[in-house]
Formats: sequence, structure tokens, C-alpha cells
Amino acid sequence: MRTERGARAVLIVLLLPVGVVVLGGLGSAIMQSVGLMPLVGPVRFNLDAYAATSQDLPVAIGVSLAIAAASTAIAALVGTAAALVVVSGGWLGRLVGIAGAVTISIPHLIGAATIGLLLADSGVLPRLLGIDADAWPPLVGGPWWVAVIAGFAWKESAFVALVVAGTLLTRVAQFDEPAALLGAGRIARIRMIFLPLAAPSLIVASTIVFIYTLGSYEVAWLLGRTYPEPLAVMAIRLFNDVSLTSRTESAAIAIVTVVLAFAAVAVASVAVRRLAVWR
Amino acid sequence: MHPMLSSSAPRRPWHTPLIATLALGVVVALAGCAAPSPGTATNFSTWDSVVTAADGQTVNLWMFGGDEQGNAYIDDVLAPAAAREGVNLNRVPVTDTKDALNRVLSELQAGRTDDGTVDLVWVNGDNFRTGKEAGAWLCDWTAMLPNMANTSTTDPLLTSDFGTPVDGCEAPWSKAQFSIAYNAAVVTNPPATVGGILDWAQANPGRFTYPAPPDFTGSAFVRQVLYSVSGGYQNVPAQYSPDAFDTLTPELYQVLSDLAPSLWRGGDTYPADSTQLNKLYAEGQIDMTITYGPATLTKLVEDGTYPPQTRVLELMDGTLGNASFLAIPSNAAHQAGAMVVANLALSVEQQVAKANPGTWGQFTVLDLSKLTSIERQQFADLPQSTVVPSFDVLSRNANPELSAAWVPALDEGWRTRVPTR
Repeated sequence: MRTERGARAVLIVLLLPVGVVVLGGLGSAIMQSVGLMPLVGPVRFNLDAYAATSQDLPVAIGVSLAIAAASTAIAALVGTAAALVVVSGGWLGRLVGIAGAVTISIPHLIGAATIGLLLADSGVLPRLLGIDADAWPPLVGGPWWVAVIAGFAWKESAFVALVVAGTLLTRVAQFDEPAALLGAGRIARIRMIFLPLAAPSLIVASTIVFIYTLGSYEVAWLLGRTYPEPLAVMAIRLFNDVSLTSRTESAAIAIVTVVLAFAAVAVASVAVRRLAVWR
Repeated sequence: MHPMLSSSAPRRPWHTPLIATLALGVVVALAGCAAPSPGTATNFSTWDSVVTAADGQTVNLWMFGGDEQGNAYIDDVLAPAAAREGVNLNRVPVTDTKDALNRVLSELQAGRTDDGTVDLVWVNGDNFRTGKEAGAWLCDWTAMLPNMANTSTTDPLLTSDFGTPVDGCEAPWSKAQFSIAYNAAVVTNPPATVGGILDWAQANPGRFTYPAPPDFTGSAFVRQVLYSVSGGYQNVPAQYSPDAFDTLTPELYQVLSDLAPSLWRGGDTYPADSTQLNKLYAEGQIDMTITYGPATLTKLVEDGTYPPQTRVLELMDGTLGNASFLAIPSNAAHQAGAMVVANLALSVEQQVAKANPGTWGQFTVLDLSKLTSIERQQFADLPQSTVVPSFDVLSRNANPELSAAWVPALDEGWRTRVPTR
């Protein structure tokens, strides 16, 4: 029992800063969104901030979820494929591993600026290909958010690859080698060994990617359209707005984003619990 | 098996410390939050006491960092001069002045009332008004500055900032004139009115656009079009009222919506800020660019960023003019040092240096009639630009700015009516 108490004490110490930051921030955002922490004027509980944004909210949620889902799907697909290459070893595996590590260390904003310089109407790519700015498809600021999704998917596929490769490397050999000895082919080994072993970390990594993409504003602001806005861009615009009341609306958008993120976590944890490997 | 890992171990004790920790977290985080106090007046009574208190202070000047000439002026000219007066001037670049204001408001909201990180802000217009409403500025200090004597006390640009009375809550720094630059190599018959610019844009699809409000420059362009469609600034009441808004803006938004298909990318999207607009102009994707700081054009043409034939449109109906200021947050940690810098920035020497197109080219706020003839000559001797006309020409028929209350209303109206059309 003594060690258990000690572990609890350690847990409390570790949780305190997390509690202060996460719940303090969340608590003040909730209070601001319902009018309990106004910058000026009386303290009065109300849902005005939610009502004021309700008109733009459905479109913003749609855009945000679409960008996050597309980025996550591409990152999961590319990341898993890259992880398989890393795990298979050899010079190609090492090369992909190094490429992934380098990609992860590039800040998102720098990555987004680079994508912008590459894909914009008069960017490096159309110039290299000799395509006129007018003839180049509107990838940056265009209707399909191509540059935004590309930016997220590129960065996050490296993240997925390293997480999945990390879990596979420690466990895959003990199953893979006997299976190969018993005559299992490549496809069968990928389907029966690699994918089931990778599934939990893939789901967890994808959830992190989804939530990060949902809450990140800078890539979408830099490479996206001015209208319609994703939730995070809308929140930052309202937060920086000159009218003092719009800070409460910004807090309301932030709370909506948090609720969506929690929903994604809930779905993901159900999915992980159902996995054979987890049980 | 370890008791903590066994499934039969009681789970409740786990939850109690967890909940207690989380609850404590909320309490600790919210304890510092308090409603901000109203705007405060300065504690200093004489200029000498300010100068004494300022000695050795480090003043953090938060300002828009996207103007390289402005940054260079602060770092290479103003900061060394401040150091000679015993004040270290530290420039803090922000992408938008709103970031500085937001920092101050957040600090006030969190209860930091006398050790704020922002000491001085380059500000005007709606940011000034919002800060004043929230009591975020130090007031009644500018009359103490010795160099204020060289400014006019009746100049409406200096006594009221976008309709908000200045009330000694900010010291004047520069004047600006809204300007539209064009590439004369392509635009051979430049329009002479704001309406003419819209006609030109419609006749040359894809070659014109403007930043989406609430960007500062895009927002000013919308106000300029409002004056144009209303038949001149005389027909738009400076003070905001919902009635005036409802009467005047339907035509404005109709004109801008009709214009949209002729804009860059068919008005499908807009540059998010003036930096993106300027980039389009520099790359030759559009033939006109909009700026509230025309002084910077000379340098941009000289260094080859902009086409060599770049000129400023001389509009018969005049353009918006404003002044920008230096304000001290009410919670600034180094108020005395900030006042010394604001006073220094108003000196003839600094205003001449700042007005030089090779340095920054910002127009002076000093009243030349109050200066000695030698000082006036220093302004007269400044080099002339081939790109930008002199301030006298540029500010001919200058339009007054609307009150700051108009700005968010016009921006929101644009956002809900123009891009969604």
C-alpha cells in the first residue's frame, strides 16, 4: 500500500500543472463565453456569444471537419506506408526514417510558408513548369483548400510514420519471422501481422493529428481562403477583433472546437478498445 | 500482481485526488482574474520627475513589424537617440497592432495592473478607441511633453483619432495619406477618381483586388468606396448611427459585390492582408496596390520589389488621411521611459529623419509655422521622390476618417454580404 500511496502522490504532483493549464484555460474560456468574465460591463450569465456566432457556425464546423478529416486520412495512409518501409529496414528504410525525423522538426508555420511559396499562382512550381499564373489551378486560397491539406498531411504523415514505426519495431520481428518461416507471403504478413499490430498506435496518432488540425489556425490562415473560415481562423479573428464583445464569441468558438475534439477522442478510444491487440 | 494493476483494486481513491487536483487547477488559474480598472491618469506632475524616473529604464515599443523601413528607423535612428537620453528602446514586432492591444487587455484581465510588458504602442483608430473604452491607456500625460509645443492644438487630425477624442491618452507621431499606386507601364490612362478605379477594374478583369476587411488597408479601401458611392465624404456623417449605416451601405455592398467577378481570381477569394496584396502587385499579378503608408513606395521601387514605373494615383476626390500616435498602456511597467521616448519622437531632429524617404518617409505631425526658419528649412531640404508626390499634393482634398465605430460595422457588413454573394 505504501508504494501505491507514493505513486498517487507523484501522480498528483504531475497532474497539478496540467490541471492548472488545461482546466484553468478551459474554465476561463467557458466563463468568458457565457459572459461571466467580461472585459467591460456587468457580469451576467448569457448565451449571447453562442447565438451571435450561430449563423456562421455550421459552415465553419463543416470546413474544419473536412480539412481535418482529409489531412488525417492522407497522413494516416502515407504515414503507415512509410512506417512499413522504415520497419522493413535497409537503406531505403533508413532514408525514410531520416526524412520523417527532419520533417517533424520543421515548424508548422515555416512548412506552411514553404508550401505557399511552392504552390502559389506565381510560386516556384508553376515557374519551374513554365505555367502562367492565370493557368495554374488555385491551390493556395482555392475552393478545395489543397495547399492547407497538403501542408498538414505532409507534416503529420511524418508524425504518424514515426509513431507507428516506433511501436512496430519493438514487436514485429517476433511475429513476422516465424510467419515468414511458416511460409506466409508479403501481403499476408502485412494484413495479418503489420496492420493489426500497427492499428492501436495508428488510431492514437491519427486522433492526435485530427485534433491538432482542428485546432490549428496558422496554416489555414496563411494558405486558405478568406471565406468561409475554419473554426480556428474564425476564433483568432474574433479574438483579435476591435470590438470588445467579440472576445466572448471567440471563446464560444473555442469551446465548440474543444467539444468536437473531445468527441473525436471518444470515438477513437471506443475504436481502440475494440481492437483485438488491445484486448 | 501489484495492487494498483489488479482489476479488483478500488478505483474510487484514484478519482478523489484527480478531481481535487483539477478543481484546484481551476481555482488557481481563475484567482488572478479581475475586471480591469478604468483608464488611469499619470502620477507624474513635472517633466523633470519623468526624466529622472526614466533614467536606465528599458522601454518595450510594440509596433507593426511588417514595415522594414519603420523597423530600421526605430533600430538605427530612434533607439540610439533614446540611449543618449538614458533609455533603452526595445522594439517588439507584432503582425497587427491588435496583438499589442490584446496583450494589454489580457494582462489587465488577469490582474496585472502595474508591471505590464507593453510600455509603448504605435496605434490609432479603432485600436485606440477600444483601448480607451477598456481603460487600457494612460491619459493626461502628453501635455507634459516639451516637444508637444511644436504641434498644433487645433489640428483635427491630432485632437481626435478617427472620431475618438485623444484627451492626452496618446502622443502624435506621424501623418499618413491613403494612396493607390499603379504600374504606369501597364495602366496608361490612370483613373482620376475612386469611381474611375472601380470602372478600370471592371474593364481589366483579374488585375485589381483589395485585402479582405478587417485588414486595416482593406477596411480603409471600403471606406473610400463608401465615400465615392455616397457622392463624397460630405454625405457620410462622421459619427456612426445604425440609420446612416442602413441608408448608405446597401449601395456600397452592391457596388463591391458587382465588382467582385472582375477582381483577381474572380473575387472568389481576397488577399488576407496588405502583405499578400503587395506580393501580388510585386509579382505582376495585379496592376494596382493600396497602401496607407505611401512613403514606403519609393524604397520598394528603388530596390526592384515594385515595377520601376510605379506611380501614385492623384485622385480628384481626395483620399483618407489620418495621424498615428504613440500610446502608453495604463499598466506599463516603464511609463516614465515611454514618455521620454514619445517626447524624443516628436523632436524636430527625429521628425525630419523619419520624414526622409530614404529612412522611412513618414509625414511629420509638427506644425511647421511653429518652428524656426532653420528647422523649417530642414523639412524643405528633404529629397523628393519620383514615385510619391509631396504631402501637399497627396493630401489635397483630404477626406477625414470616419469615427472608429463605423469601422467594425462596415467590416462585418462586408464579410457577411460581399464574399458570400
